[in-house]
Amino acid sequence: MVTITYRDADIELDENVYDPAEDSYLLADVAIDVAQDGMHVLEVGAGTGFVSAVLQTNVDVDLVATEISPFAAECAKRNSVEVIRADMFGCFGSDTKFDLILFNPPYLPTAEDEKIPGWLNYAFDGGIDGREAVDRFLEEFPPYLSDGGIILVLISSLTGIDKVKMHMQGRGLDVEVCNIDRDCFFEELIVLKGTFKASEQL
Amino acid sequence: MKKDLMDILACPICKGDLVLNITKEDEKEIISGTLYCSKCNEYFPITDGIPNMLPPELRE
Repeated sequence: MVTITYRDADIELDENVYDPAEDSYLLADVAIDVAQDGMHVLEVGAGTGFVSAVLQTNVDVDLVATEISPFAAECAKRNSVEVIRADMFGCFGSDTKFDLILFNPPYLPTAEDEKIPGWLNYAFDGGIDGREAVDRFLEEFPPYLSDGGIILVLISSLTGIDKVKMHMQGRGLDVEVCNIDRDCFFEELIVLKGTFKASEQL
Repeated sequence: MKKDLMDILACPICKGDLVLNITKEDEKEIISGTLYCSKCNEYFPITDGIPNMLPPELRE
């Protein structure tokens, strides 16, 4: 079993689950900067649990995560993440609110013949334009974000950063670019931070 | 899963309340059991501490 350590968190990996890469490290770093003690945090699609485990090791947050893949859910659980097998927000009651929601979506533009069999496809496949999952997330998150709450979404230049930004603004969020990863040669990775203004909540 | 997760979970089909039935727990959490929605007559299993809240058609 391979274990990696990042910012004092030990994370066990699994051969059936997408390994943490530059995108995961970037989202974890930004999440630590943004999160405050006592916040209710949700990570959608936790994978190995890397981002959640790193965040809860460094900030005293109350965190839960959802994950659709059974292998990833078990891996996240081994990494001490309180994980629920669910499809995005499907498992939460309508009065459940989070202060911070994290999402590292499957964002690679993927044609039908590029899909891979099994649960791992959920980690990569962003549909034809790469935005299928992030667009669905942006349609579904509003009832679950508290007034003044924040979402952090990891996006690649391959996915169309401006289009995602516009979608976020259309959902009542103030959007800022939080961090740019300069170490990737084939794509640019950024975290978009969206802050919910109570007065503009949908 | 920790017991206080019950405060935020709902049936993924109708968003209604769930009834918790514990078959195994330790001092920290619920290890196995079920979450039941009486309206949908649907059971959602808790296995190895993980509640499976996927609607039946996604469960595989």
